[in-house]
Amino acid sequence: MKSGDMVMQAELVAHWANGKKLAFIGDGDAISVCVAYLKSQKIIDYGPSLITVFDFDERQVQAIKAFAEHKKIRHLDAELYNACDSFPKVGRFDRFYTNPPWGQSNEGQSVHVFMERGVEACGYGGQGMIVIADDEELEWPKRVLYTTQKRASDLGYFVNRMQPLMHSYHLDDDALLRSCNLFVEALPGNPSRGKTKAVDKERLANFYGRDQHVRMRYIKSNRPVTLAGADPSEWSPEYYKDAE
Amino acid sequence: MSEIIHPGAGVLYMKVGTHAKEGLAEIIERKQREIDEAGFAMWGYGGSTCFPTSMVQPFARGFAKQGRPIHLVMQKMNSRHYAEQVRATRFSVDGAMWEAIPDSINVLGSRYALMIKNLREYEDELDLSATKVAVGRNEGRVGSRYVQGQADKACLVVTEPERGNKEHKKVKIDLIAELLDPYAVFLDER
Repeated sequence: MKSGDMVMQAELVAHWANGKKLAFIGDGDAISVCVAYLKSQKIIDYGPSLITVFDFDERQVQAIKAFAEHKKIRHLDAELYNACDSFPKVGRFDRFYTNPPWGQSNEGQSVHVFMERGVEACGYGGQGMIVIADDEELEWPKRVLYTTQKRASDLGYFVNRMQPLMHSYHLDDDALLRSCNLFVEALPGNPSRGKTKAVDKERLANFYGRDQHVRMRYIKSNRPVTLAGADPSEWSPEYYKDAE
Repeated sequence: MSEIIHPGAGVLYMKVGTHAKEGLAEIIERKQREIDEAGFAMWGYGGSTCFPTSMVQPFARGFAKQGRPIHLVMQKMNSRHYAEQVRATRFSVDGAMWEAIPDSINVLGSRYALMIKNLREYEDELDLSATKVAVGRNEGRVGSRYVQGQADKACLVVTEPERGNKEHKKVKIDLIAELLDPYAVFLDER
């Protein structure tokens, strides 16, 4: 996500989840950190009461924990978790946020899986914000938007707001692609749809794109956790010869 | 439309020129020699628009399943690629398992390579506005919209030209080759 879009998105999330417990189901863009930091620095005086990031990349998890510790942000935390596994903290949150793999090659199944985890995090209640591809020229984002709204409806949620064509990206391959914010909200008294469980194998095919199936559970970090940035053994200064 | 570029055909479009301080004519001569000796050559490239595992391989495999070839169609250009001529020593199909590159194959100053055969000069035209991106998050986007700025190569399917007043974006094709299984690989210099 481009930096300007990130700032706008972080403020939006902070406002939307003000005073709420917010679960991030994956967070490659580090919007969670931006949201928490904006409030902790008193740039904005609103934001979630708790942010927990569930991500399969241990480097990301450690970086969030280290940042929160270093900046003394007590309401920001992260846990190592893969969305294909059963969800560990069902019903502990009021809101969920996800910017999942966009499901261009599996009719949106990748989006559905992440959304379902968010729904479980909120105990089939609350609200969710889903960042999802949105493009006027392409067909697949329309299909994914359709199937995602249908799946949300099956889970007892309705679309209460949508912000089309909101974000753009820096990647060469994605210069034209945009994404939207899709807001979903549970119907009053929406019942649970059963216990959380691992994702069926057939849903893992083409998860990250054509022929890009889920094979990796975690990215494990070999780097020791340091609270104040890079470990000293990883870097050394090189000075100008004529420097005093 | 031609034998290579016709509706339904799969092409990997790329602009080519000087690479790693070596002129195009020299590259072509060297690659043709490698193909004669080893049966294939590795055509080095970079950038993020034709990533081996998420773009080129699924694209080419999809066509291979239907018994259809993928052609690399290249447009000559003046390039300022002056990276050092460091020879890649090993390659990987998946980025995890690595194999040594045969001594007779030289691929220089690149992160990825296409596996090619039948490299030859070939004059043709590709109407990018009569193509669509074949794979990835831009799948379905019209080629002329996609190939711009940093995106100077693309996995495309040729479509019927649109009838209308929209401007066509034709590019000259000077050189072609056929992609060979495993189609695209990662390179390493260690």
